[in-house]
Amino acid sequence: MSAPGKTEPTEAITRARTGDADAWGVLYREYASAIFRFCRRALPTREDAEDATMDIFAKLMRDNKLLQYDQSRSFSAWLYKVAANHCWDVLRRRKTRQDKETEDLENVPLEHPDPNQLDKLIEQRTSEEVRRALDKLGARARMALVMRYYSDMSYDEIADALGVRRAFVGVVLLRARHELRQALGQGGALAAGGTS
Amino acid sequence: MREAHNLSGDAAMQHLDEMTCLLYIERQLDRVHAQEVSAHTQDCAACRTLLRALERESRLLTRAMLEEEDALPARLARFQERAGRSMQWIWTVAFGLAATGVYALYTTYIGPLQQQLEEAGLGGSSLLSLLIFQGAFWKGWQSMIALLEVVALVTLAGFAVAFFRKRVRRGSALALVLAGFCAALLLQPVSAFASEIRKAESVGVASDETIKGDIFLFGNRVRIDGTVDGDVFLFGQNANVTGHVKGDVIAFAQILDVNGQVDGNIRAFTNTLTIRGTVGKNVLTFDELVNVESSGKIGGSLTLFVKTLNLEGNLGKDLLMFGEHLNLSGKVEGAIRMKGDLLTINSSAQVAGPIHFEGNKEPEVSPQAKLASPVDYHKMQHKPHYMEGHYYVWQVIWLAAFVLFGLVLFQLMPQFTKEAVANAERYGASFGLGVLVFFGIPIAAVIACVTVVGLFVGISTFFIWYASLYYAQLVVGALVGQSLMGRTSETWPLIGRMVVGIVIVRLATVIPAVGGWIKFAVIVWGLGATSLALYNRFQPTIANTPSTPYTPPPLPPNTTVGGMQPA
Repeated sequence: MSAPGKTEPTEAITRARTGDADAWGVLYREYASAIFRFCRRALPTREDAEDATMDIFAKLMRDNKLLQYDQSRSFSAWLYKVAANHCWDVLRRRKTRQDKETEDLENVPLEHPDPNQLDKLIEQRTSEEVRRALDKLGARARMALVMRYYSDMSYDEIADALGVRRAFVGVVLLRARHELRQALGQGGALAAGGTS
Repeated sequence: MREAHNLSGDAAMQHLDEMTCLLYIERQLDRVHAQEVSAHTQDCAACRTLLRALERESRLLTRAMLEEEDALPARLARFQERAGRSMQWIWTVAFGLAATGVYALYTTYIGPLQQQLEEAGLGGSSLLSLLIFQGAFWKGWQSMIALLEVVALVTLAGFAVAFFRKRVRRGSALALVLAGFCAALLLQPVSAFASEIRKAESVGVASDETIKGDIFLFGNRVRIDGTVDGDVFLFGQNANVTGHVKGDVIAFAQILDVNGQVDGNIRAFTNTLTIRGTVGKNVLTFDELVNVESSGKIGGSLTLFVKTLNLEGNLGKDLLMFGEHLNLSGKVEGAIRMKGDLLTINSSAQVAGPIHFEGNKEPEVSPQAKLASPVDYHKMQHKPHYMEGHYYVWQVIWLAAFVLFGLVLFQLMPQFTKEAVANAERYGASFGLGVLVFFGIPIAAVIACVTVVGLFVGISTFFIWYASLYYAQLVVGALVGQSLMGRTSETWPLIGRMVVGIVIVRLATVIPAVGGWIKFAVIVWGLGATSLALYNRFQPTIANTPSTPYTPPPLPPNTTVGGMQPA
């Protein structure tokens, strides 16, 4: 993916919109790795991520979905959104998505966890442990965290991709953090929002 | 803002809940609430710690996900090249097929037809003018041709816009085309409509009168004894032209007698046409009976869709007839081509060109008749058309044309097409409305034509109606394709389903005996679905205001109240 501040290949995007295969090659080389990593984070297995990456680009090229892209906005952000929608569709089709009703989402405990304990937990955990913990999360929780903290998607975009109201995106993210803390092994009380 | 229960050690203080803290560090609180949080954390160490912990958690998450560099797998690295090639292959095949279909259509069908029409004196200078028989029925076709060419260009432009423009808004391509259509309509030369109109029980042009320009005559009895410099449009029961018309005569009458002189063409939709005078150019008629009496002279060609023709006078060029019986006693300077029941050539007949006759009975030719060559007679074949090989070739060509037509329309109006396909699932409403539109629109178009002022509108309406018959089949094809391959909201997958569906629909319509009924049902169904989609487009939409719970608006970009506070 383009590094922050790096200019996006607007010329290649423009040409790709006309069906130029070479331009598609440029875009693919530029963005395939980032989209693959995104899919790798969002989907359960590496094979799933490979399939999803291929499907995403194949659909983009075959259906010329680039026509839907607003060139005044960030291309990488748009591409992440497409990838998020695709991954969520994949999970939904497999029925691995842990759908919860909106009412359920509203029932997240509004507690004050022990800040010191949380701070300590965060400090002790390595990136590797967090990645392993992420793999144990439910589909919705993992998807939400990946969208927000990997691809920096807005709350509106996350709401759109997950099919929840924007007001509940924060709840989804908080619930995901609770699941993550639990998966990290020491978050029982923290995740439940209890105070010590 | 919500506040949670107490922490030990801060018994008097209400603490921020975790949700509020998360929204605060993510800058999702509105300015007022963010300022409250900010003020609270100035005094509350526990909440400051929580904010810091949440922010560190965010950073840890981002770092964990970004840190590991997964190399692109080999099969993904190879994929791009393969995908690029497959795209080129698909486009090459698609356009190759389309070009072949169009070429075959032109060389096999339109080319020979054009030649035949030119032989019959109905020459055309372009494909579009050929398609509508340039100048055949009405001089206004010249304007129509220009208009159609403009519409064609605007349609192409709309297609290009739809194809290349980013994020084409709903219906904007269609709106562009319609706007172009309207613009072209407004740019029409007004001269075509600037004519004199007379309407009475008995109406006409007196013998001492000269009309400068065109004239429209409406009445039970129409009579032209004087001179008309332009064209004459007749609408009446009995019409008689005894004077001099320097332009064309276009007649809708029960009986038309031409005893005078017409320098231009005669285009007649009558029951009985009798020519005793002189016609300078061509005659094209749809009648039951046509008599060209011995004093009658036609300088150009004679093209007829008629039951019986008695030709005793002189014909300067070719005769093309589709009808029952030709009784020839006069002189034909050109060729004769006839498809009908019976050909009788009497002793006084003279024909300078070849005679082709396809009929049910052997021609009756008098030995005294002066013919350039014997009659080339072919007995009419009545075997079912689906027994012939070329019928299937044509089906394939038509299928290719359908696919091309659908490709253009689906790209031009993707949103409308999706709506039409969705409406096709409302079977009852689609069929009901379809029947109404199928029969109602042509009737309305004819009424518009008869009122003359609405001639252009009527003919345009008829064209749109006719095109929509094909579009209707594409809509049903797309629905059939969807039922087999699953629903889609994307344009290209929908086109793919349309192609599969239209193949099935076309196959169903060639089934002997029931195929025609299937085709009719498909057209009515699709026409109704299209009309429903159009109807829904014109319905006012009421803004939907969902009762969403409180959603804090994001802070302005330059706000200073969000973010982590120092512990």
